[in-house]
Amino acid sequence: MILIVVYVTIGGCLGSLGAHLCPVGGAPAAMGTATGIATGTIQILLGAVVTGLFTAATVSTFSNNIWLVSLSGAVGATIMMQVVMFFANILYAFGCGVLPISGRVAVDPITKAPQTAYKTPQTDGHGVPDVVFVSGSAGGFIGGFGGALMYYTLLYLAHFTYGTAVIAALGIFVSSAILASYNIRGTTEGLWDPKFKTIHKAMIATICVSVLCGIVVVLATIALGGA
Amino acid sequence: MAAAEEKKVEEKKVEEKPKLKLTFPPAETGLALIAGILAVLITIFAALPAVIKGLGMLLTIVWSADSVRKTSKYGLGTGVPSIGVMATGYGVIGALMGLAFAKYGNIGQFYPGVLVGVGFMGLIGLVSGYFSNSPKYIAMKIPRLERAMMELGISGTFANLLMFSIVTGSLNFKSVVTQVMDTGVVASMFILSIQAMAHPYNACLGPDERRERTLMVPAEASGLLCVILGSAMLVLGTSPWGLWDPVSLIVFGLLVWVVFYTRFIKACMKECYATVGTGLIKTIE
Repeated sequence: MILIVVYVTIGGCLGSLGAHLCPVGGAPAAMGTATGIATGTIQILLGAVVTGLFTAATVSTFSNNIWLVSLSGAVGATIMMQVVMFFANILYAFGCGVLPISGRVAVDPITKAPQTAYKTPQTDGHGVPDVVFVSGSAGGFIGGFGGALMYYTLLYLAHFTYGTAVIAALGIFVSSAILASYNIRGTTEGLWDPKFKTIHKAMIATICVSVLCGIVVVLATIALGGA
Repeated sequence: MAAAEEKKVEEKKVEEKPKLKLTFPPAETGLALIAGILAVLITIFAALPAVIKGLGMLLTIVWSADSVRKTSKYGLGTGVPSIGVMATGYGVIGALMGLAFAKYGNIGQFYPGVLVGVGFMGLIGLVSGYFSNSPKYIAMKIPRLERAMMELGISGTFANLLMFSIVTGSLNFKSVVTQVMDTGVVASMFILSIQAMAHPYNACLGPDERRERTLMVPAEASGLLCVILGSAMLVLGTSPWGLWDPVSLIVFGLLVWVVFYTRFIKACMKECYATVGTGLIKTIE
């Protein structure tokens, strides 16, 4: 019983952390004037986590190891995230004719490539540069891990069926990732963005909401007479 | 010559300004109260025919879309759809919890136990609204965000409960799991109810946005949802009333869709500055 609440809370926190790490461009990115993928936080996260839940559900049909199920979800979400970022880059480079460049750091912290010189004036960077790609992959991994952990909890600890566990995990994940996306407000570049420093505010909110969601699951399990 | 013609068109359009009148409840609170009370009555009485449940679902979805509208008016910063996704996410959890509690305290075909899930989701919505709005935490500074998020939690739960209850014809957790969850109908419910709640304001927002016009879109979308749920009922064969139940739901959905779709298009045509045909895309020579 306690484990359900603990795992759901951990999953919600990981979802919030993953949302903060994802490169979100929003409407400015659709015009090529900001870094990231051109849609909202929750849509990116939802796409990644649904893919992660697919892989996690596939693995959970033959394994009940918590690490295996969670890591398979994380890998699925990472692959989805990387494919989206890669194709966003292809579209930006060959469709818009802009090169992937970060707007928030002057020198790439990983490859040490200069950034400011290549940035179009009065824009916020373009595409998905290396530093953002790394951060986004980590975000997909962490978010997918959180989603799959919740799925595992609902499937094996609360004894839901596969379909119910998937949809309930998605519901709880969405409600915790929403608070993170409100904290981000619009665009973010991930780990090296100044907005990442406000993560503790979203974290506190997410912990409270996830604990309540965990209590909901526990009450439902008790009412059903299981576990 | 062209300029004169344009001016004529402009004058003509200005004359046609009187807007399409619709009898929606005057205030947001009125709509919320009507939809909420009707949804409670329809939800707890599980033996109603699908058409009445469909009507309840339409009302709750319109209510959700209205809540989304009044919150998103102030600018969420992360896109309107996010709050619709949140309503449905809460709704799924709340509906599952309500269904788990449905077997307690039922009187015949009345299941007041499902309201536990609704109440809990209202509480979670209130808590998340407090955290989003409080200046100490996320500080979104949107007036009455707490109430709007609570309304979204409640109406999302009602919409999900009514959808489950339409497809299975009961409020039994086991039959919902086998007929809705494991068949995958829930995926289309999830996405379509998000679409019905979040899409209207997202599509209609702008300086000339009008509440009555925006609220025609969720009604139209829930008509489509009724058609899909009716088809699911027809395929699954779950209705306790026989064949006419899903068929009547499909007819009801089509009727709602046609009426609101045509009214919406007419209202858009009437209230816009001018309607011009752009023709096909021209190739550059």
